Amino acid sequence: MDKLVTLWEGSGLYNLELGQAVMILVGLGLLYLAIYKKFEPLLLVPIGFGGILANIPEAGLAISALDQAIEVAKPAVLQQMAVALGATLDPLANAEAWRESLKVIAQDPAAPDQVRAAKDIAMNVGYGDGMLYSFYSVAIASGIAPLIIFMGVGAMTDFGPLLANPRTLFLGAAAQFGIFATLFGAVVLSSMGIMDFSLNQAAAIGIIGGADGPTSIYVASVLAPELLGAIAVAAYAYMALVPLIQPPIMRLLTTQKERQIKMTQLRPVSKLEKVVFPLVLLILVALFLPDAAPLLGMFCFGNLMRECGVVERLSDTAQNALINIVTIILGLSVGSKLMAESFLSFETLGIIGLGIVAFGIGTAAGVLMAKLMNLMSKMPINPLIGAAGVSAVPMAARVANKVGLESNPHNFLLMHAMGPNVAGVIGSAVAAGVMIKYLG
Amino acid sequence: MQDLGLLQDGLALMALGMGVVFVFLTILVISVTLMSKLIGRFQPVPVAVDTGKKSSQASAPSAQSDEVMAVISAAVHRYRSTRRR
Repeated sequence: MDKLVTLWEGSGLYNLELGQAVMILVGLGLLYLAIYKKFEPLLLVPIGFGGILANIPEAGLAISALDQAIEVAKPAVLQQMAVALGATLDPLANAEAWRESLKVIAQDPAAPDQVRAAKDIAMNVGYGDGMLYSFYSVAIASGIAPLIIFMGVGAMTDFGPLLANPRTLFLGAAAQFGIFATLFGAVVLSSMGIMDFSLNQAAAIGIIGGADGPTSIYVASVLAPELLGAIAVAAYAYMALVPLIQPPIMRLLTTQKERQIKMTQLRPVSKLEKVVFPLVLLILVALFLPDAAPLLGMFCFGNLMRECGVVERLSDTAQNALINIVTIILGLSVGSKLMAESFLSFETLGIIGLGIVAFGIGTAAGVLMAKLMNLMSKMPINPLIGAAGVSAVPMAARVANKVGLESNPHNFLLMHAMGPNVAGVIGSAVAAGVMIKYLG
Repeated sequence: MQDLGLLQDGLALMALGMGVVFVFLTILVISVTLMSKLIGRFQPVPVAVDTGKKSSQASAPSAQSDEVMAVISAAVHRYRSTRRR
């Protein structure tokens, strides 16, 4: 009978907490969105599945060896760890109370040496880092996975439309207003006492408005790792929603006549220009904004591999095999951050709400900037392409094209919109660099 | 009082951030334009000359090919976009 009780007490059903159950449902919800609604399935399938894995009770896939030992180790081990941590355990209290107090001490960043010693004890007794925890520390905590994805994006990006009409870079710059307006919004919310965000957290939330998955994850991992799960989920979910969010804003801010503006044919761009461009960008980053160097450096490297034409194999790997491998690991690692204690909070709702505001403001700023440029320049500019200034390559450009076609079925804006679209990628990487410089 | 400080920091970061983004991209626009001009001077694009000749001979086919180009580029982008991220 005792054995049966032990078995029952070791089962998932017995140990399932309410939070974990809710998070497993959230994971299933993400899988539903990805599989049936086709919301960025490449990312949301691994994220949703990782979220479910991370919340399996007792398995501890997403926590470190130390946390795992604290949760499930025998009382004797707990006492050993308490000694290492320099804490005394109340001999009258039961093991559960010990676990609680140890958990608090282990999270105290003030004593890194003691925490390391306690971790060694946990490792010696045979506890190891959870699988997802290892993925996270290798892929995201080191910053590597988002950067490799950015390299792949660089290898997939054609800067031809941008080089043919460099002024579209201004549209990419204007759309970054969404990032900073949202940052300010988050700060206002916390100063009014509605939410509680630090400036770092506000910056990490704002970057959702950059509509760039890898950039959001990179900035969040540097500035506010505790919000990473919510930020990544919001960023990718809204990127999938771009075709729904943008068109109403675009129609609201433009007249029928403006939407019908035809743009002049882009000039042909020579191969040499395309090869030199990533190098020019790299040199400018080196000279003016070294903090954007990780993101833009990898981006330029990927793009140079694509355009130079002598490393086809490397370029092919960067934009196919490598980016796919990294996407799997990145998705699972983000999923590991979907743990009940950090995700199920009022702040998450705030992040999701602010994220959509960021998208809206970014789109509006891009469209308004395009209208301004149309007034000032001789070459006609269709304001719709301004909306493509939020990155979300190539979804935003396709949305601009689609809305343009509704007004004039013979007006193909796609190539024109690709210019601001890739400019948006550069713009959000620059914005990320500024934030990391200012706050990091 | 602390809240006011946070608000000020947020406002400062907003102004600084937008400023840097615009300045950086302006410099990028200038350098890209310069680069294109330089390259155009030392290595004239032969393709441009070709199209000029063709269009003077027959304007109708070139207009058609423009449209075909637009369709092809749209198709290429759609194809690429399915393999993104």
